[in-house]
Amino acid sequence: MTDDITTSRRDFVKGVASGVVGGTLAGMGFYSYTGSAYSRLPKVARGQMDFGVVRSVKSTVISETSWFNNAHLMEDIMKAGGLLVDQYTIGWAPFANGKGAGKSTYEEGIANIKKMLPGDLETAWATQNKLALHPDNPGGFSTLLEVEDMDGSKHKYLLDTGWSYAWMDQSFKREGIDQMLKSGEIEALIQTHEHFDHFWGFPVAMKYNNKLPLYIHKGFYKEGRQYIVDAGYKGDPIVVDKEMTLIRPGMMLMKFDVPIICRVFGETSLAFNVKDKGLVMISGCNHQGILQMTSTATQKLKYDNDRFYGLYGGLHISPFEDWDPKYDDLVISLGKWNFEKVGCNHCTGQLTAKKFIERGYPVVRGTARFRTASQDYLGNGDTITFG
Amino acid sequence: MEAQNESITYLESRKLVKRWRGPWPAIVNLLMIFALFAVSWWVFQDPRGIMRMYTPYDGYMICRWLLILLIWVAYIFDFWPFKRSWLNKVHPVIKGVVLTAFSVLAMMVLIKGFFMGLLGQYGIAYFSPDRLHAMGLTEFYAEEYSAEAIMMFAAIASWLAPAWVVACENAPWQKLEQPARGFTVAVVTFFLATIVYFLTMHSHMAILFYPWQQYTAITPPYWEGFANTVSGNFHIAWIMSCTVTVWVYESIWERYPFNLIKTNWLRRTSAFFGIIAVALCMCFFIYYAQDLMWGETVRGTKRDAAPDWRWLHVGETAIFWLVGVLGLNFYGGNWPTKFSRPVNAFLRTVLSLVIGGVIYVLYYKYAHFLIGTQKGFAHPQQFPMIPMIWLINIFLINMWFMDGWPGWKAVPKTEAELSEVESVVVAHDVSWTPSLAKGLALGTAAGVAIYFGVINILPWISQNVQIIN
Repeated sequence: MTDDITTSRRDFVKGVASGVVGGTLAGMGFYSYTGSAYSRLPKVARGQMDFGVVRSVKSTVISETSWFNNAHLMEDIMKAGGLLVDQYTIGWAPFANGKGAGKSTYEEGIANIKKMLPGDLETAWATQNKLALHPDNPGGFSTLLEVEDMDGSKHKYLLDTGWSYAWMDQSFKREGIDQMLKSGEIEALIQTHEHFDHFWGFPVAMKYNNKLPLYIHKGFYKEGRQYIVDAGYKGDPIVVDKEMTLIRPGMMLMKFDVPIICRVFGETSLAFNVKDKGLVMISGCNHQGILQMTSTATQKLKYDNDRFYGLYGGLHISPFEDWDPKYDDLVISLGKWNFEKVGCNHCTGQLTAKKFIERGYPVVRGTARFRTASQDYLGNGDTITFG
Repeated sequence: MEAQNESITYLESRKLVKRWRGPWPAIVNLLMIFALFAVSWWVFQDPRGIMRMYTPYDGYMICRWLLILLIWVAYIFDFWPFKRSWLNKVHPVIKGVVLTAFSVLAMMVLIKGFFMGLLGQYGIAYFSPDRLHAMGLTEFYAEEYSAEAIMMFAAIASWLAPAWVVACENAPWQKLEQPARGFTVAVVTFFLATIVYFLTMHSHMAILFYPWQQYTAITPPYWEGFANTVSGNFHIAWIMSCTVTVWVYESIWERYPFNLIKTNWLRRTSAFFGIIAVALCMCFFIYYAQDLMWGETVRGTKRDAAPDWRWLHVGETAIFWLVGVLGLNFYGGNWPTKFSRPVNAFLRTVLSLVIGGVIYVLYYKYAHFLIGTQKGFAHPQQFPMIPMIWLINIFLINMWFMDGWPGWKAVPKTEAELSEVESVVVAHDVSWTPSLAKGLALGTAAGVAIYFGVINILPWISQNVQIIN
């Protein structure tokens, strides 16, 4: 009798143990990916932060050509060890040490040129050209933003400072940025992120104004922060550590904490509320993704007509003219967001721009001047105005 | 090298005995494994290290194919062409070095010779980096695309190759001698992997190129509507879940419950498809759990909000569990062992999930300080499967090739112990009784309740627990 009870209890426990695993698996399999399960997801209330309004935003492309030969850039990255390698070690100017791909350090590179910054950039770049991989390849990304307030007053901001000292200085002069910096006309510099092609030309801006307000993402590594000092900046950088930072009424700096290739962390992008038009988003590289940016804006911000009006910048989809099926997810989905005006260049990828145009998206085409490769891009010297 | 006709495989024929009492064997082995991981990671994979194969796809391809080769050598070929006598007498360290070198050599022949050479040069261009480069792709992406395709093949093989041994018990070729059995099972599973590859990954590769290669692959792929993406990562999700489930079934579940089926063909078929069913349950749950934690996906966006990444992360999450499963099985003595098989399996499942969860948290909290990766969950060029599979490969080399040296040593099993091997294949320790039925009913209800409890608590965890600062 006792044996029977024991056996019965043992069988019961065996059944319970098996049933718990089976029942849990049944729930996981039959319920998880169903409409009923998704109807349970909490509805996220929209924040609707009122951040003011501007009459218009004009963007002038100072330089969108970050590098001139994609094969050479990828060759350097490959030799250095791939897309996860620290950018300061790859062996590019201005941090090359002449030891070859993947063997540079910030300290050794900057030691060669520090005393020349920011006054003698020609000598500094020439010095680095003797040490660097493919020294003629760097260009850079930089954009001038002109924001018109409702009272008609205009305010200028510099978005990023490019890469090559020589190319950026030439581009600054072409668009009159050097004079705007000198005169204090440009009210602030926003460094969207730490990547070589957006940030390493920083001393060029310092050459003309080393005290202008500077915004950087809090994810800048110690090398990047030291470069700001070594390049001769005399101000106190504003480290962006909040998701939303109001620059001026109608102009919001949005922070995204995203890991990025070549050991960079985080990017900031700009949102503008253009009167009677809607939201305009402008980015340096948009590593967070266009739709991540639009989703965040939808959730947090209030804007006219509750619609997306414009998009401009490097949209970082196929920057190395590479591809992945997930990029097609974006190409297919972008239409649903109904942007009225899209300007793209730089890391968007020429293939992406081509696919956008094929789908009938309202891409503003450029003039392909000053070494910009395609009219599908808003090119160097081109402008786009929202409002 | 001699033909082998042993009915019991080498792994089944040996018993691993602790060299020291208490937890010391596990501690010593784990310390050695972490040291080997650190050194080998630095030499081969680390983006700051020597060879820097974590480009990422080169390193991804290598670690996945090495896993397949380890499975082939130990499970499919039963160590052929190495003699059983050699396996029994040679020092574990020498054995580990020789067998690992043999596996690496075979892997290189397969990757360079078969995929890049034969298939890439005479069949499908995207397997050959040289051909892609010659057609205008940068050398870097030519290598990455090729490595991605070859790696995807390995992902499928890492499910099918062990599944044929574990679930199908090598049938109908189980009585063949080596190497006939090994070659037969390898060829058959490779053939099945090829079919699955064409059904799951070929379209993914075809839309890497402009325009979509619609004359050679189905584009857009058939799964687009269901998975909300055109990316083949959807398939990585369930295929990796299958891989993990095979080893869960083989190790901590001791082939329970399908080993209760006495009819051979029914048991084998049930086990093969049962593994897929369990994997699909896991796959859909992990995807849904992410939506509960991080919010619903937005198609076309990037990183942790993108459907393609969420599917990929299903596979990544499953692999963390596999590390817990194998760690418990190899170094925890498959603890506990004193209860009935269903209770042991249940307790091990819970324990391995906890271990896997801890490894997951530790990885995302600290890996960027240690292995050259970057902070954050969703980096487009970063795959936690690479370090996890690298670690699993070292586990397997230690336990399969080195007999658990230094903490364990191999001794031959007794006749009684050998008969236990058979009882794992066909079990008699659970039979249908009214008490079992009652327990099963209650347990099933409890399991469903646990499931709903978990999905209710996940949003709260998301709001209150931060893994990455």
